[in-house]
Amino acid sequence: MIRSLRRALRGYVFTIAGIAIGVAGIVALGAMAERIVRFIEGGDRFVLGQISVAGRGMGMGAGFTAGGLLPAAAIEAIRKVPGVAGVQPQVMLPLNPSTSQFMTLTQELVLGMDLSVPSPNRHYRTLPVQKGRFLREGDRHRVVIGASFATSRGLAPGSRLMLEGQAYEVVGVLERMLTAPDRFVIVAIEDAREQWVAKDRLLRTVLASGGVALRAQDLNTGAAVGWRDGEDPDVVARRIREQVAGVNVQIPSELSTLLRQSTAFFSALLVGIGLLAFVIGGLSLANTVAAAVFERIRDFGVKRALGATDWQLGREILAEALAVTLSGGAVGVLLAMALGLGIDGWAGRSGQQLFLFSPRLLGGALVFSVLLGAAAAAYAALRIVRLSPAEAIRRGSAA
Amino acid sequence: MPPEPVLHARGLVKRFAAPSGPPIEVLAGAELTVQRGELVVIEGPSGSGKSTLLNVLGLLEDADAGEVRFGERTVSTLGRGAKSRERGRWLGFVFQSFLLLPSLTALDNVLLAARYTTGVDAERRRRAMILLERFGVAERRDHHPAQLSGGEQQRVAFCRAVLNDPPLLLADEPTGNLDDANGAAILTALRDRARSGGAVIVVSHRPDAARGADAVFTLERGRLQPR
Repeated sequence: MIRSLRRALRGYVFTIAGIAIGVAGIVALGAMAERIVRFIEGGDRFVLGQISVAGRGMGMGAGFTAGGLLPAAAIEAIRKVPGVAGVQPQVMLPLNPSTSQFMTLTQELVLGMDLSVPSPNRHYRTLPVQKGRFLREGDRHRVVIGASFATSRGLAPGSRLMLEGQAYEVVGVLERMLTAPDRFVIVAIEDAREQWVAKDRLLRTVLASGGVALRAQDLNTGAAVGWRDGEDPDVVARRIREQVAGVNVQIPSELSTLLRQSTAFFSALLVGIGLLAFVIGGLSLANTVAAAVFERIRDFGVKRALGATDWQLGREILAEALAVTLSGGAVGVLLAMALGLGIDGWAGRSGQQLFLFSPRLLGGALVFSVLLGAAAAAYAALRIVRLSPAEAIRRGSAA
Repeated sequence: MPPEPVLHARGLVKRFAAPSGPPIEVLAGAELTVQRGELVVIEGPSGSGKSTLLNVLGLLEDADAGEVRFGERTVSTLGRGAKSRERGRWLGFVFQSFLLLPSLTALDNVLLAARYTTGVDAERRRRAMILLERFGVAERRDHHPAQLSGGEQQRVAFCRAVLNDPPLLLADEPTGNLDDANGAAILTALRDRARSGGAVIVVSHRPDAARGADAVFTLERGRLQPR
């Protein structure tokens, strides 16, 4: 059985190569699309897992905490709003403030978290740590860093990282999440407040003047707010907006819509990439399979002359097409993965990952290839069996 | 006891569309009856329609009019599937260009005749090997057609044609691509086949093909004329 299959496949080397190239195209372009999808989905999942609150106005805060100062009194007021389950003060700053803010989605950020409060984000109770450990309450001058950040700077647990002139010990590296936290530097909120003061001359001036009564715990760029079970997060967010003065409250569903709108270009791009991959790869595959069947038209004429019925011939053509398409598909998947991993190995030096070979993509590409291969083979088989055996032999002999 | 007809054809008409003008009538009411154990040779110049006649008799091509019967059964009106089954049951073909499958070995080419009819079992394999031995190509059983000479290929094709022991053998210019020695060997095999009880129709322009034939016809203006 295996011997005869191997023998049959040997005659299809070029067909398999043709299919492999088509499938490799689908998988490689699909993997790039998957990478973008994962990035957008990750952000969406994050914003739908918490209510993000910032102070009203403009300030140093970046990412989802962009806005003005959120003092401790406001955080206390938020805690008292009915339906609120937990509030975690946060400080989120651009690692390098000179970096243009318009690429916030891919920016390197410092996230200071109040480690005495559990994460209220329902989708990210903890961030997955690949190496080392996450921060604990009381940790000072220690950081947990995102996977891309670690790769781009060659950092690992035990490494030292200088932030605003202060040495930090890397205690953990997060798993690659293919979304924003890959480029995060996570510290205790007290450390983030120190960095904020160090980075922001205006804040230093205000604090030095003594004209404003500010305590350390007032230095928050925002807060992550959780809701009680059974509460509608949008309703709780609106309640906070109504009951607490001086805050910017992001309604989770609105923020999700906003995120999707802001990434609409990427979404359209990946739909385009996906369609292009399926059309080009699919056409290449279907054409290769159909051509391989038509190439053997004389053989099929001979088989019919020897008594093969349409059903026997169709089954045989389909089985061969499936074996050839599966082989070509598997080679194509391996080819695309080798190409993607090679490119990612190069891009990884700057912390980038361009391809995501998800199981759904690989499975989908194989299923798509096999179905398309079978359809192309069935089409060719139908065309062939409609010919008389004599005509099939004539055409095959003339070719 | 009257002779048993294996094939009976009457009123066969076959036309082909011409690039311009009226269709070309290749067969114009051809009639033929072949009995068991009979060797029939059909002669005629190139383009006279001999191969078309053989294709119609072998259900490889439909006639525009007329009837073909295998034994007592009219087969020319059957559907595609039924015609395939009847071909497998009644016929063996020997073609001028051998028509062996290039991807298969000599043995597998012979066994191809059984694949769609009786199925390939140990008995068929044994019979295929006996045939290959009888025709002197047993040692070439694992060779592919490209590795065989023309004479060897035609002998393999002959083995394929008789593997299922079909009642009727159709041979279209079986010596057309062979040298004299190999051609003579194939003609002898066809005569032996008829002598052993099988019906054989040979289309050939070789003068020696008619030697030992029970009936010789010439295809003229679409009709078979006894010579």
